[in-house]
Amino acid sequence: MTAALSRRGARIAIGLVVPALFLSWWQWQATAGDARSLAFAPLHSIGSAFVELVESGSLFSDMVSTLSRSLTGLAIGGTLGIAIGVAMAVWRPLDRMLGPLLHAIRQVPLIGWLPLIGLWFGTGQGSELIVVSISAFFPTLLNSYAGVTNVEPRYLDVGRIYGFTPLQRFRLILLPAAMPLILTGLTQGLAFAWIASIATEILLGVGGGLGVTMQVAQTQQRLDVILVAIIATAILGFVINQLFLRLRRHLLRWQAAPL
Amino acid sequence: MASAALRVPPADAFRSSRSALSSILAPVALLALWQLACLSGLFPPQVLVPPSEVAHTLLELARSGELERHIGESMFRLAAGFTIGALAGLAFGATIALSRLAEAALSPFFLALWQVPVIAFVPMLVIFLGIDEPFKIAIVALAAFFPVALATFDGVRGVPKTWFDVARVYRTRLPDLIWRILVPATIPSVLTGLRVALTRAWVVLIAAELLAADSGIGQMMEMGRQLFRIDVVLAGVVVSGLIGFALDWGARAIERRAMRWRMA
Repeated sequence: MTAALSRRGARIAIGLVVPALFLSWWQWQATAGDARSLAFAPLHSIGSAFVELVESGSLFSDMVSTLSRSLTGLAIGGTLGIAIGVAMAVWRPLDRMLGPLLHAIRQVPLIGWLPLIGLWFGTGQGSELIVVSISAFFPTLLNSYAGVTNVEPRYLDVGRIYGFTPLQRFRLILLPAAMPLILTGLTQGLAFAWIASIATEILLGVGGGLGVTMQVAQTQQRLDVILVAIIATAILGFVINQLFLRLRRHLLRWQAAPL
Repeated sequence: MASAALRVPPADAFRSSRSALSSILAPVALLALWQLACLSGLFPPQVLVPPSEVAHTLLELARSGELERHIGESMFRLAAGFTIGALAGLAFGATIALSRLAEAALSPFFLALWQVPVIAFVPMLVIFLGIDEPFKIAIVALAAFFPVALATFDGVRGVPKTWFDVARVYRTRLPDLIWRILVPATIPSVLTGLRVALTRAWVVLIAAELLAADSGIGQMMEMGRQLFRIDVVLAGVVVSGLIGFALDWGARAIERRAMRWRMA
């Protein structure tokens, strides 16, 4: 058994057994003919829903909507997160002022802000983007802050010996040293923004996107459409995460230490 | 495995929160600032109500027993879902860590599901389970399952192989092997996984309650929004923040306690 498991082909084959069993169970439930069939969509109807969504172009436009919402949120929240995180790490008074406030805000589950934001800004796309931006903001903030605070003192000593101005110290020591964690923050921020996009789309259901399609499909009892949207969410999420990790490695290739 | 996903940003990252004095002063200053901002007339009462009014609303909700009911419902769902999800995650993680065959058979399917944000399962679960208790408990269980399963897998795989060899030399029986080697060795990472799972479960529960519920903290906020009762919404924000904080704090305390012996 162990010998068989070491072969790549055998491993893949074993890995396919459970999904295959699951799919045949699913198909059996869907075609059983009683009340169950109402909820379970047969496999061929999932396939045809996929074709339908691709041909009408709505799957593509949904993916673009959700992706652009996530990336816009990341751009807004990430920029603010890096700026404020670095500023708080460099300048203590700002840390003392903002730290407690941000810490308090962070305790509330992100989605918990949605009713309040809905009251303030309405239940439209603007509110969706605000929640997505906040969700990208905190990971970037915390990591940027930690990156700058944890710079090795030796580096700063070297800067002092060379008589660096504060600006030089910031640009030549603090920023490059903090870069790995800042990029980690952005990667985490992207993951959070992606989840927040799907969540707010499901909860508010406006502006288009994979979550909106799921929400609408749920009211129409179209499980086939929901499943196509879930699969698209999984694949797209996986791909952008991998791209970001690769980008991070590329940007940090000058670093000697393994990341 | 995707253990990197478990790495959450450092929690007590802010220097300022470390000293005892500022940790008392900061919230007081914050509340004072909030109160002042409202008294100054900068924000109309439809937009922001002062903390004194939020406190008043909280007191009223507490006196009428409404707050207790909402918190009770939410906590029941959290406890039930978390217990189911965590136990399933423990069993699943340990299984795929101990058996190569189980890993080869189950991990591809598991990793594929792991790519889906838990919240994206909400519409599907609503179709299967409706919008009542089973749905909320199921989504909480699902949210708790993945982090616990991954942490357990990492923990069990991280046990040095030599420990098992020693156990074999001593002819340790299986229950002893589990209770005296496997459990103590994996407790740190499992506890971390449980803590992460608990906070995620709480977030997902709030989301599920916002969407569909007749009680619970999330529902209290959503009703407040629909009735334009900003004081109720803010009260809900405060309560959910306090509960989230208390859950995380309690889990961290347990984690520290359980890991004390490692320092020796």
